[in-house]
Amino acid sequence: MNVRLLSCETVGMEIDYRYLVRADRIHGSLLHDRDIFAEEMQQIFVRGWAFVGHESETKNNGDWVKRQLGTESVIMVRGDDGEINVLSNRCAHRGTALCWEHSGNDSFFQCTYHNWRFGLDGSLRAVPFPDGYSKPKEDLGLDRAGQVANYRGFVFANLDGSACSIDEHLGDAGFELIDRLCEMSPTGKIDLSKGWIGHRVQSNWKLWPESDSDGYHVGFVHASMSASTDTYYDDVAVGGEAVKSSRAVDYGRGHLELDWRPSYKQELSWLGVTRERVRNYCSALAKRVGDEVAQQLLWDGPPHAFLFPNLFLGETVIAIVEPVSPTEMIHRHTAVQFEGVDDAFNERLLRQTEAAVGPASFITSDDAITAERIQAGVSGTATSWAATSRGWVDLSRGMHREVMDEGGVRSSDASDETTNRGFWSRYLEIMSQE
Amino acid sequence: MNADTATQLKAEVEEFLYREARYADEFLLDEWEGLLTDDFHYWVPAGRIEGDPAKQLAYLNDNRARVATRIRQLQTGKRLSQLPTSPMRRILSNIEVQQEAADQISVKANFVIYELAAQSTGELRVWPGQAQYQLRRLQGELRMAAKWIELVTAQAGQRNLTFLI
Repeated sequence: MNVRLLSCETVGMEIDYRYLVRADRIHGSLLHDRDIFAEEMQQIFVRGWAFVGHESETKNNGDWVKRQLGTESVIMVRGDDGEINVLSNRCAHRGTALCWEHSGNDSFFQCTYHNWRFGLDGSLRAVPFPDGYSKPKEDLGLDRAGQVANYRGFVFANLDGSACSIDEHLGDAGFELIDRLCEMSPTGKIDLSKGWIGHRVQSNWKLWPESDSDGYHVGFVHASMSASTDTYYDDVAVGGEAVKSSRAVDYGRGHLELDWRPSYKQELSWLGVTRERVRNYCSALAKRVGDEVAQQLLWDGPPHAFLFPNLFLGETVIAIVEPVSPTEMIHRHTAVQFEGVDDAFNERLLRQTEAAVGPASFITSDDAITAERIQAGVSGTATSWAATSRGWVDLSRGMHREVMDEGGVRSSDASDETTNRGFWSRYLEIMSQE
Repeated sequence: MNADTATQLKAEVEEFLYREARYADEFLLDEWEGLLTDDFHYWVPAGRIEGDPAKQLAYLNDNRARVATRIRQLQTGKRLSQLPTSPMRRILSNIEVQQEAADQISVKANFVIYELAAQSTGELRVWPGQAQYQLRRLQGELRMAAKWIELVTAQAGQRNLTFLI
């Protein structure tokens, strides 16, 4: 078998991603191999586009947040000109990290090792005892992301600048999913400045795009939630296959949705309230978009979607998938806050987020355990036991019944693994490109 | 309050806190819930204990109804993240008792919890922090009206926190 599965035994050989990622299954080594992880960090998080943060986190010039793009530490900062820059959090001199807190406001970044000082655009402004340098200052600025794009406040970066355009990366579907979230706000604008909470999980990062877009597990992993409280997931994702009209959708390019809209049984299900409780919000929304559109929006709610490679739009929650090592990751989330609503409404969104997502939540804590159990299961290094199925992860559910529309969008029952296959198909495209 | 009364109150508070800690460690959920007032507030912020809890995104911010749901979820027998429950023990120390009013006592204590993640990786997890309690005397008995937890690691993110901290 001309394939490389194990780091320690196969130094110098090419990893054959076409062998490891099949239409109906993937190999378990993709979830724990160190060399594969290293290549992913380069191909996906350095050479490709990834979500960095939201402009509402850096409202004023000089506001910055520290983020992790794959294994690269970056600073997202609003510069003196009001534009958002994405800079390497690494002094151009000797590599010292410039920022170590989560966020701040500064008029420059100064390294604590030799006091080199950089502007908010990353340019080198001053060094102590400059006579010692003959190199031009322009060559000693911070690394800047090669491409940065901002769509309705969502900031994406491509570190090395070699990726396609953001239009091509997001595609119509990516833009539309962000639109569907933002349009829920009475002003069309959302705010993501309540801070991010890290959920540390001992699993490979790729298990989370899978989990966040997997409709099959909800009735099993989250049975304890259904048994203890009423939730809209009971209507849209739990129960017999035949009665479910929710859809698993693969838009292509790794962008995925569990489309609950056909299954909601009443308006505002996604908020868990009736109109009487949030009348101000409903009328503010109708004022901007009209009664008819508002009616539809309130019924449909914001999407449950994943944008490749690291952004989860979970109705009123946003999460970033942050790889740490082949077997460690952070699921980092914040609560969507709408503009133009009263405090009580946004506080409702905070409480809803706390219930749904994070270490002490009612939902994703059970996903974390599941991811850790998968990690334990797939981390064996045998390529094949007696049965040929060993070592592989099956993702074939619903292959025979998914449909593709004229635009190339693939969909199937919400419990089908169409979304999982969509993730891996994009993964294969990226990892097998030169 | 004379010295004798203060010593007596401190002993009574300590006895209450140790019992609350043991109920939590041993997943004696009904017994633990029996210690709560009807307006109990349970809060684990993502940073320091400061500001208005309602306006922050926290690890956990339960009113009385939500803490009841939390306990109910643990009692379903299907809560994967506590199946099996974590073997755990906590140590309380540095207990400071402040009588705020006739029936209102606030307490601060340091704690360290040792938890074995028996449901998943089997690693030993250590949870250091400070607990701030509001205790109230109802019909002569102490009850817990609030428990706020400031984790040393609050800003660093957490592994699963699905036991009663």
